[in-house]
Amino acid sequence: MVVDARFDVLKPVRSQMGLVLMESYWITDLPQRAWQGVAGQFGSRTELIAENEKLKTEALLLQGRLQKLAALTEQNVRLRELLNSSALVNEKVEVAELIGVDPNPFTHRILINKGERDGVFLGQPVLDARGLMGQVVELMPYTSRVLLLTDTTHSIPVQVNRNGLRAIASGTGNPERLELRHVADTADIKEGDLLVSSGMGQRFPAGYPVATVNEVIHDSGQPFAIVRAIPTAALNRSRYMLLVFSDRRSPEQRATDAAIAQEEADRKGASAPGQPAPANGQGVPAAGAPATSAAPATPTVPPAAPAAAPATPAAAPAHTRRQ
Amino acid sequence: MAVSRRNHGWLIWLTFALGLLLSVSPMPQFMEVFRPMWLALLVSFWTLAVPNRVGMTTAFVLGLAEDVLYGTLLGQNALILTLITFLVLSLQQRLRMFPMWQQSLVILVIFGIAQLIQLWLSALTGNRLPTLALVWSAVISALLWPWISFALRDLRRRLHIN
Repeated sequence: MVVDARFDVLKPVRSQMGLVLMESYWITDLPQRAWQGVAGQFGSRTELIAENEKLKTEALLLQGRLQKLAALTEQNVRLRELLNSSALVNEKVEVAELIGVDPNPFTHRILINKGERDGVFLGQPVLDARGLMGQVVELMPYTSRVLLLTDTTHSIPVQVNRNGLRAIASGTGNPERLELRHVADTADIKEGDLLVSSGMGQRFPAGYPVATVNEVIHDSGQPFAIVRAIPTAALNRSRYMLLVFSDRRSPEQRATDAAIAQEEADRKGASAPGQPAPANGQGVPAAGAPATSAAPATPTVPPAAPAAAPATPAAAPAHTRRQ
Repeated sequence: MAVSRRNHGWLIWLTFALGLLLSVSPMPQFMEVFRPMWLALLVSFWTLAVPNRVGMTTAFVLGLAEDVLYGTLLGQNALILTLITFLVLSLQQRLRMFPMWQQSLVILVIFGIAQLIQLWLSALTGNRLPTLALVWSAVISALLWPWISFALRDLRRRLHIN
């Protein structure tokens, strides 16, 4: 035990044993899988049609939101370039599936079907469709173990989305509750506030939703307020989750890469005049030029159009970052 | 005898594999606390029945497997399982003579001790469990003991495993 706790000698042994033994999680999951398969086979036509309709409307809604997001992303990139900062805008993700839940009721850990061979690394953040779920704590060749946000041993640096107030959210062992530690009694935080990851501590990427505050208790005898929050992610319900590959290059290197990509894009733009007019005329230099030159030129166009036009400088660095 | 020994040794390992599966099989959240200690039950049965074939080494290996499955430190469950086997082995001659309910009682005590040490070990490794609820699984295991014992004894008699 001591050897395993203090040294790395046993890690490979452990991961190789895991390769064989983790099949048992898969086997115990078989009945449920089979049931879902059967249910899927016999799903009635009307149900499928209804679901299809629902998905279509949802897709439409998301498309609409995406258009706005494109504009905002573009604006964000431009402003960041003005500020000479190079924070991440896009990150590469990979989808993983839940294969097992830790049988110990007092820890919140799950097993996912992506492991070291898929490029997963220790400490990698895991998301679901609604927010952050946790981080990878143990690697095996084809599976890995994820510690959820609500485990008693887990804490995550967060920020109130409304005003940027920083705090640390700790797990309580209850899958529906996080607690904010050491929030001053006079701090501006109230029920319904969205907490997003602040990116401090260099582990979780900034800006992902973590929890919503549902209770703030001010006790005049206590130095700190008691703040309770509900995780936005469906920690005990999600079956599919996303592994985030954030960039591990230094900011300087990222800036250099972005500059090189920008130069290349400029060169391409100069050599190929057949591109759409706005992209050639304003879009490409817009990244370097102040936003004011682009803004008055297209005041009446809906937000989607300027977003589409200067998308090239935004897209180019994003691609190179993924390498 | 030698032939049958070679023939049915795999059966013991099959039950152990089954025990490993059962110990990670999904259960409703509120029932997780009551999950029986399947592997410990099986190991103690086989050490009682055929102490010449299943001993502390087997228990240790199985415990390591359990550690990998649970993601605890390598050796934590192995230590517990070895301890259980040791206690069962040292009481083996007497335990075999006991009536079933008395056996269950002894099993309860042994598993209870093991679970308390488990609690202590997990406190040492940093994830202290909030309650004594861990002892529940010892109680459930003791209640399951007669059934497991009858079933496996039947199996053993029929296939002449010894």
